[in-house]
Amino acid sequence: MGVVVTGVGVVSALGANPDAFRRALLDGTNACAMHDFERMDGSVVSAPAYLAVAPDPAGLIEPRKLRRMFRLARMSAVAARQALKHAELDPASIHPTRLGVCFGTSFGAMEPTQKFLDSWIENGETSASPLQFMNSVHGILASQIAMDINAQGVNLTTAQRDICFEAALDTGVNLIESGRADVILVGGGDELTPMLHEFASHTQQVVLGRVEGLDPWGSRRGIVPGDGAGVVVLEREDTRRKPSARISATRIGRWDHGGNLARELWQQAGKPRIDLLTDNRDGGAGSTRLNRMEERALKEFADGAPAVSHRGNFGTYPSAGAQQFIANVLMLSHHEYYQLLANGKPSGDSTGAPSVILHNAPSTSGSHAGYVLST
Amino acid sequence: MSQTKAAQPIAITGLGVIGAFGRGYDALHSALVEAREGVGPLTLWDSSITELPVGQYRGDLADDLSAVPGITPRIRKRLSRSDTLALVAAAEAVAQAGLDVSVGGAYVGQSVCGTLVSEALYIEANRRAKTGDLSRLDLGGAFVHEGANTLDRLAEVFKLQGPTLSFMTACSSAANAIGLAADAIRSGRCDLMLAGGADSLSRIAFNGFCSLKVVSPDGPRPFDRDRQGMMVGEGAGMLVLESVQHAKQRGATILGYVSGYGHSCDAYHLTAPHPEGRGAVAAMGEALSMAGLKPGEIGYINAHGTATQDNDRTEARAIADVFRGCEVPVSSTKRYMGHTLAAAGGLEAAVSLWALQQKQLPANLGLRNTLEDAPLNMVRETTAAHELRHVLSNSFGFGGNNAALVFSRADA
Repeated sequence: MGVVVTGVGVVSALGANPDAFRRALLDGTNACAMHDFERMDGSVVSAPAYLAVAPDPAGLIEPRKLRRMFRLARMSAVAARQALKHAELDPASIHPTRLGVCFGTSFGAMEPTQKFLDSWIENGETSASPLQFMNSVHGILASQIAMDINAQGVNLTTAQRDICFEAALDTGVNLIESGRADVILVGGGDELTPMLHEFASHTQQVVLGRVEGLDPWGSRRGIVPGDGAGVVVLEREDTRRKPSARISATRIGRWDHGGNLARELWQQAGKPRIDLLTDNRDGGAGSTRLNRMEERALKEFADGAPAVSHRGNFGTYPSAGAQQFIANVLMLSHHEYYQLLANGKPSGDSTGAPSVILHNAPSTSGSHAGYVLST
Repeated sequence: MSQTKAAQPIAITGLGVIGAFGRGYDALHSALVEAREGVGPLTLWDSSITELPVGQYRGDLADDLSAVPGITPRIRKRLSRSDTLALVAAAEAVAQAGLDVSVGGAYVGQSVCGTLVSEALYIEANRRAKTGDLSRLDLGGAFVHEGANTLDRLAEVFKLQGPTLSFMTACSSAANAIGLAADAIRSGRCDLMLAGGADSLSRIAFNGFCSLKVVSPDGPRPFDRDRQGMMVGEGAGMLVLESVQHAKQRGATILGYVSGYGHSCDAYHLTAPHPEGRGAVAAMGEALSMAGLKPGEIGYINAHGTATQDNDRTEARAIADVFRGCEVPVSSTKRYMGHTLAAAGGLEAAVSLWALQQKQLPANLGLRNTLEDAPLNMVRETTAAHELRHVLSNSFGFGGNNAALVFSRADA
């Protein structure tokens, strides 16, 4: 049994919905801008970042529901509703126990976690905020989506550093293939809070000076961070809804112990001709480490296929694989190709619309994930 | 309840535990046989909340770690308390399984992760921000100890080549990790997996549960009419899972089987369970169906039984609903070790296997008066159970996240 993508939703620095996101990618928009981040000592630092625009809930979620959510939960819940709308799928039409959610996030609920910490650091341990504690658990994003759409089936949260979306995708595909769900919303989201930016600044992980944008192929001097949320609807291939793309293969493995995940993916997908390679390259210190075996394998079966990362357009954060996945689905379903950016300028050769995309994402941690998407 | 063809069981060939009862299966065995409580004072950090006990591991973790093969000084430097608990438990499980696990993967349930390190860093950063010397603080630890760190250290130490995933579904995390790892083996994605969960005590979790006013001053009394709440604990429970064929081919001793797994979401409230236990009923039903068992074939239920008002009331209702007329013995083992959050499903998998191997049912410590509105067949004392063949273990988490596992005896 195969698994298909029938809907996408995204709240990104490039736009508040899939249409805006697609238009921005087509136009080669660079969403990098200078933003102010408040430091713990009360000072303010201006630094480049790709912060997601405010989600537009109109016609998707009642405002009273959104008011109770923190920023990342709002982005995630709106993206989930967008994805269902795009799939033309009323969640009430699915048996609630067959509808699931699988969400990848590395930092999780940073904003409520910090507020919770502050509540007892400032006022004493007995004054800790129960509301912020409830919101601070990693699984809160998947839970909020489930409550909004009454998804009573599987509900999972994966944390796997910079491949947490890909981990959620692999898990979601397996859950459908093993018959544990008929429809799964797979998402990825992380939020850039001032605290996170401050910590990353201290460890020299982020660029602080004015730059035009992120350079995925750069000198690894640091990244320009971002945030956002993306959600996709996965269904069994025999669905009556029109698929946007087909998932031919997904894998999770390790590159640090000699894995050859790219070859496994290609074989699992039936050894197709690969038109485009995508990855999670962001110019950071740990970005994209292929072992030699894998470099040889890619040369063998994907020689000539351009390798791209659109993080120069929408920025980078651990679960930004969700935005790359959605960009890949849009390229396939609209038969188009999005020029990539480095330092805010077009980079790499233009190519035709792809039919088969292999996403190969080695993580900084030694784990490794990928998928093959086709029309 | 509809019965379907049973799914292929998955062999358990290794088991490792650590918690308030001590380190290792023998320590767990002693605690269960002697009905020894794990209730004690919090000594990991200075807290102004001194009246509430915890289920803290009292051994020397640095010493325990010395017994784990492959721990280099570089790795040791990067370990949080939670990582260490996981490694110690995993090493015991791997040693018992008696094989090189590097071809396998690991699914680990986590919640607290390295929070004990990062929260201390945040508190110190706050303090220094007020005095202006923040620049000299090494904030790198905040990133070293993010969610997947335990998993990465397990992969590093055991040189895992297979899929590695960290599941964070609060207190059902380990149960989900075990169930999904069994699924991964069943689907042929790998032959061998490390699976379980680990969590250490942390200020965030302790203060958080205290803020919800669900922590008992005299330790947990699960399913007691006058229960006052839970006790936060810490620990790790790790299993080595293999396909039956893989285990038999290498002549491994099979400790038991994962024969069923059910998972659901209440989709009801951020923390409170659905009042009728809707999701719990669904998860238990799915686990039974997958194992191809009727409710009456379950010989013991290791309940989630946190001793909070909400959990015990709704879990009792859900058990009574699924097991109507079956009189299945039930106990919660939370008073032996506390509520170990994401590790709970791993440690309670170990208790379930202990019950199957020893043919005994662990007592529900702390029980004085049983519930009236949903009476259960509670295990009041450690009891012999010679005919025990199948055990069901429940784990429920924030967000209405429900997981149920069925374990079966090696000769079932």
